[in-house]
Order: sequence, then C-alpha cells, then structure tokens
Amino acid sequence: MTAIIHLNHLEKYFGRLHVLCDICLEIEPKEVCCLIGRSGSGKSTLLRCINFLEEPSKGTIEVDGLSVNVGIKGKKRTDLVHNLRLKTGMVFQEFNLFPHLSVLENVLEGPVTVQKMDRQKAIQIAEMNLERVGMISKRDEYPNRISGGQKQRVAIARALAMEPKVMLFDEPTSALDPELIGEVLAVMKKLAEEGTTMLVVTHEMEFAKDVADRIIVLAEGEIIEQGVPEKIFSNPVDKRTQTLLERYKS
Amino acid sequence: MSLETKKSSSGRTKSQGDLIFDAQNAIKRKFTLNVIISWILLLLFLLFLFSGIKFSIGSLDFKTIHLDSAFIKENMGFVASGVGVTIGISVLSILFATILALLAALGRLSKIPPVYALSTFYVSLIRGTPLYLQIFFFFLALPQLGIILPGLWAGVLALGLNYGAYMSEIFRAGLSSVGKGQREAALALGMNQSQMMSRIVLPQALRFAIPPTGNEFIAMLKDSALVSATGFVHELMWRATKVGRAQFHNLEALIMAAVFYWIMTLLFTSLQGQLETRLARGDR
Repeated sequence: MTAIIHLNHLEKYFGRLHVLCDICLEIEPKEVCCLIGRSGSGKSTLLRCINFLEEPSKGTIEVDGLSVNVGIKGKKRTDLVHNLRLKTGMVFQEFNLFPHLSVLENVLEGPVTVQKMDRQKAIQIAEMNLERVGMISKRDEYPNRISGGQKQRVAIARALAMEPKVMLFDEPTSALDPELIGEVLAVMKKLAEEGTTMLVVTHEMEFAKDVADRIIVLAEGEIIEQGVPEKIFSNPVDKRTQTLLERYKS
Repeated sequence: MSLETKKSSSGRTKSQGDLIFDAQNAIKRKFTLNVIISWILLLLFLLFLFSGIKFSIGSLDFKTIHLDSAFIKENMGFVASGVGVTIGISVLSILFATILALLAALGRLSKIPPVYALSTFYVSLIRGTPLYLQIFFFFLALPQLGIILPGLWAGVLALGLNYGAYMSEIFRAGLSSVGKGQREAALALGMNQSQMMSRIVLPQALRFAIPPTGNEFIAMLKDSALVSATGFVHELMWRATKVGRAQFHNLEALIMAAVFYWIMTLLFTSLQGQLETRLARGDR
C-alpha cells in the first residue's frame, strides 16, 4: 500500500534554532498516528509544516500523491500549497471557530467559499458532518454560546466538510476543561473507527494507547522512536521516551 | 420577615440572590430617576435664563436674557433648512473617511516598507495640521494651482481626509482584534488571502469598529460647521451666521443653530447607543 503522507528529509529552523531535524515519515491510508513528546520537542511544528501553516526550511512534503518541494517559489508554490491544504483538514488547540458565523455557517464556509459548492448541496454536507460529531442540534447557535468541547466538535466537522484525505489534530483537547475532554476524544475515536487517516499531536496517553495504530515519539526535533502502542508504552527503548511516559503514569 | 416567606408577585419564593439583585436594581433605578429630574431642572433653568423675564428681589431688579422672538420665528425655516446639508456633508465625509481609514489601517499593518510609510506619512501629516487649515487649503489654496473645487467638495475632502487619519487607529485596533488563529483557520480551509480578508477578518474587524465610528460621526456633525468658513456651503452654521450678522441678531441666530446641533447630537447618540447594544448582544 502506498503512503498517503510522505515527509522526506524535512528540516525547520526558527532563525538559528533547529526545531525539526531530518524528519522522514510515511503514513498509510486509514492509519491513526499519535505524535507525542515533551513541549518544545517540535511535534506541533511538524504537524503545522504539513499544511504550510509553518514554513518548512528544507525537504519535500507529499500528501496523497501531491508532492511539494519546500524550495519552490512564486505562483506555482501558492497553488501547490493551496492544493496541499485542500487535502488536509486541521483541528486547532484553540478551536478557532469563526465567531461571527453560526455553527452551520462555520461548517459551510469551506465548501461554499473555497470549493464554490452550490449552497444547498453544501448545507447537506455540513449537516451530515454536524450529525457525525453530534452537534446538529446546535446548528443555528453562535460559537460563544456553546461549550469548549462542543466548539471543538464543530471545528472537527468544519474540517471534515472539506473531505480531506488526512485529518491533522494539534493538541485538540489541551484547551478544554477536564470534564469536556471525553466528548471530543469520543468523536475522534469514532472517526478513527470509520477509517479516517489521522495524525494527532496529543498528551492524552490513554487515547493514544487505545486508538492509535502507531505512536511516534519526538524529542529535540527528531523522531527518536516509533511503533505500535503496546511496544512504546510497555517497552520503550529510548531513555527520553521512558522519562516522558514515566510522568504520565503517576 | 424571614427569606422563605417573602414571595414574589408570581408567588414563587425568591432566593437571597434574587433579593440582592432586586435591591441593587432599585438603587440603580432611583439614581437614574434623580439624574433625569436634575436634567429637567437644569434645562428649565437654562430656558428661564433666556426667557426675558424681569423680576425684583427687595430693592434689586433682575433681568434675564431677552431673545427677539419675532426674529426667531421669521428665520427659523431658513436656519432649519441647513440641518439636511449638515447631515449630508457629515454622511459623505464619514463614508470617505471610513474608506481612507481602512486603507491606512491596512497599510499600517503591512510588512512592505513603502506601504507602511505611506500610511504613517498620511496620518502624521494630517494630524500635524489644523482641520481649519485643511479646509481652507482645499478651498482657497488649490485654485491657485488651477484646481477649483466647489465648497461642498472641498469640505467633504478635507473632513474625510482629516477624520480618516484619526479613524485609522480605530480600524487598526479592529483588524488587530482578529486573532492569528482566525487567519490560520481560514488558510487551513484553503482560503486565499482575499477570501480570508473578505470572509473572516474584515467582518469581525468592522463589527468591532462600528461603535467608535458612530462616535466619530457625531463629532463630525459638529466639525462640519467649519466648512461654513468657505462661504459657499449653506449648512447650519453658515445660515445662522448669515442671518445673525445681517440683522445684528447673532445671539438669537447662534442659539438657534446650537439647539439644532444639540438635538442632532442627542438623536444620533441614542441611535448609536442602540446600535452598540445590538452588536454587543450574543458576543458576536
């Protein structure tokens, strides 16, 4: 089976700071990968490089057969990046719902504005995706009138409405009150079971253990270890992975 | 009386929280009522001052200001017809100013040095010179260069340019109030720069900027009086000074104009207040 995401020798510098060092990664269709690591290990940067919200410094990024060489410039680059973003759906830590639009309009925005889809058809797709995340009953509410967990579920529906090939989650539950985390993780688990390809930056080790097909451990901008959850959680090889997991056990 | 037995009109027992809330509301209502009464008294006093009534206390004779009511009656229509012109100038100028302010604010947030410079240069030049001078510049100085603008357009141009410079700060704050996360979410959905601006950033920034723009409009209503200096725009102030000077009744004429300005300000302030509450509702 060919990989749906293929990162080849990806590098990222912030000034002189080397935040991603020679990242090579392949993700299979329908695979669920959790990226874990201490804060500052580069996991969010890695995720954000995949849709160019962060400019990678070197290397190539390939998503669903569309390959982008980081060095490319000009109009061609704008088009490539645009197409790359259409193939990826992103869910942010801070939800970033559009506060001036209702729940339904938030989900409609991508299909209608970007894909120029017929409004009636877009409404069908939006409603279907709100149904998927259990938020159809709030379709006419405004984001500030729903809870954090509900906001994040709407944000997931908003990304899904674009029918992306891969879903990228950047610490989707880190900004939530503890009692609201469960509902978001449940939605993500459901998506995983439906066969969505997912790359998740998370601190939720239970979720990672339970849902992920593969755990990828980052430290100091490098992938130090990866494998099935059973192996990583019960038998970590790298000393840094051991200390990382140690902290979540207590 | 214990708290449990105190009933509200609906018969429902009120909690202590409700009781405190009611008590605080009663205090607020009383305060508002007293303020309104005081306002009415001050207004009556002002009317009395201009009533022309003569009275004496003991051996002292007092006389309030006498206004020539015949003059007022005769010229009311002439002065009042300036209200429309004043509002017209202000509306045109605020529209022009809004466009300029938005462009200047975008320039101020630009990462391109010449664009940033153009924006700050404009704001600095306009804020560094008097509005009165700017109005005269467009009306009196430009004809020397062969550019002759009708008084109205000179006024609108000057007011618009001037207010645009001051209002650019409002729009800059509005644009900055839209967080980085909003832009990232728009980009991640695949929007290009112009879609991101028109669909996500500007609607939020404008909503933020509407109430302060209303304030600027109210200030503009009064600053538009300066345009009368050109002598060719027949707005409120021009009409008042014209009839006042001609018949040496400046006192009555200016008071008439003042009353019109005041009423306009009160009306637009209340409209603006309603707009503000409407926009604040639902935290949109």
